[in-house]
Amino acid sequence: MLERPDADGLLSTAREVLLRDLLPHLPEAKRFEARMVANAMAIARRDMAADEAPVLARLRGLLDMQDADSDALLRRLAEEIRAGGRDPGRAGSAEAAEALAALTRLRCAVSNPRALGGSR
Amino acid sequence: MDEAARGRLSAWLTAAAGAPVSIESMALLSGGAVQQNWALDVSRGGAPERWVLRTDNAAVLAVSLPRATEFALLRAAHAAGVTVPEPLFCHGGPDVTGAPFFVMRRAEGVARGHVLVRRAGGSGGDAALAGALGRELARIHTIRPPRDDLAMLPPPPGDPAADFVARQRAALDAAGTPRPVLEWGLRHLERGALPPGDVALNHNDFRTGNYMVHEGRVTAVLDWEFAAWGDPHADLGWLCAPCWRFGGAHEVGGIGPRPALYAAYEEASGRRVDAGRVRWWELAATVRWAVIAADQAARHLSGREDNLELALTGHIVPELEMDVLRMTGVLDA
Repeated sequence: MLERPDADGLLSTAREVLLRDLLPHLPEAKRFEARMVANAMAIARRDMAADEAPVLARLRGLLDMQDADSDALLRRLAEEIRAGGRDPGRAGSAEAAEALAALTRLRCAVSNPRALGGSR
Repeated sequence: MDEAARGRLSAWLTAAAGAPVSIESMALLSGGAVQQNWALDVSRGGAPERWVLRTDNAAVLAVSLPRATEFALLRAAHAAGVTVPEPLFCHGGPDVTGAPFFVMRRAEGVARGHVLVRRAGGSGGDAALAGALGRELARIHTIRPPRDDLAMLPPPPGDPAADFVARQRAALDAAGTPRPVLEWGLRHLERGALPPGDVALNHNDFRTGNYMVHEGRVTAVLDWEFAAWGDPHADLGWLCAPCWRFGGAHEVGGIGPRPALYAAYEEASGRRVDAGRVRWWELAATVRWAVIAADQAARHLSGREDNLELALTGHIVPELEMDVLRMTGVLDA
């Protein structure tokens, strides 16, 4: 049994201390760095919460690579796109576009959820 | 910079200026990930002058140009009437300050993107500023190959669009991380490839954040380290790309309306803006910035440069991929 609070709880509390208690006392020149630290902690929290499984399952189905890991899937898809095999009008193009959208939403939800905008 | 380096620097500047130069103060300005900029207050022959010394940072991008080349570009731009800080002196060796550097006059104004976008305000934004940027670009694009003074630049590409796609793919291959969304964008560009047209000098990083504004006027076009020969529409596309709007709504760098930019550019250059070409280069800009951002994160990941700003730059890539999917019609704009 691991001890609580867990990684997410620790990051959350530590980030609050940084932004609420420390930032106001920092000289202007150091505030940008402090905000970067807070941003990194927020990304790390979202990264831990992200569930890649549905997107990977979708990619495995799209590429017919049932046991492949994430890197192999992305590599194959990248190669197929570059070679024109997923161009609009070709079989599997719409499915590839949808998989790219799902993958990118997941990545963006971790890195910068504000940039998700209204795109659903 | 330590005392010994400062001593060597003032001796070197005295020789270069042909008059005694003493450094009154020297402070690091907020610089980019590639360069360091130092504010240099000097007295030259007894008269005060305000300069900037520009030198390399530790994390030098493979795609950025050496200081001596940037200095030559600044001179060419200055001669072409582009609003740039007057270039003064250049030293290509590491013996004075530890790295190559050049010195230019210090321009007054604000460059920070968020500040300029906020000042441009709502509704139509700042049409006058968008027009002024169009005139600056038109002047930059009067610089045409061949130019003996810019012979250090790679030769003009015969087919800038095809050359762009090939370069980005090579960069992705070299980086080794598969990025299907960027491949999607590049394939879209390849399928809609533009026939070769005009070739001119491109600034290649002409965007909000890289020009200074003082009292509503452009006072300096900065950061010439990516300049190269290419399709002049590439600069217009880079300036208009969604990733350089700093949260603002206006299509020209978050600060102003596109028609004002195009009209001023056309009037100053005497050439038509091909809106379709600009759109092509806007998507290209988005892919290019994503490739650069991934490269900066890779420098952190490699362990060569343990740097939080570089690390976080990698996390810009997904939002750029969102832009790629919007611009290629996969997601709603």
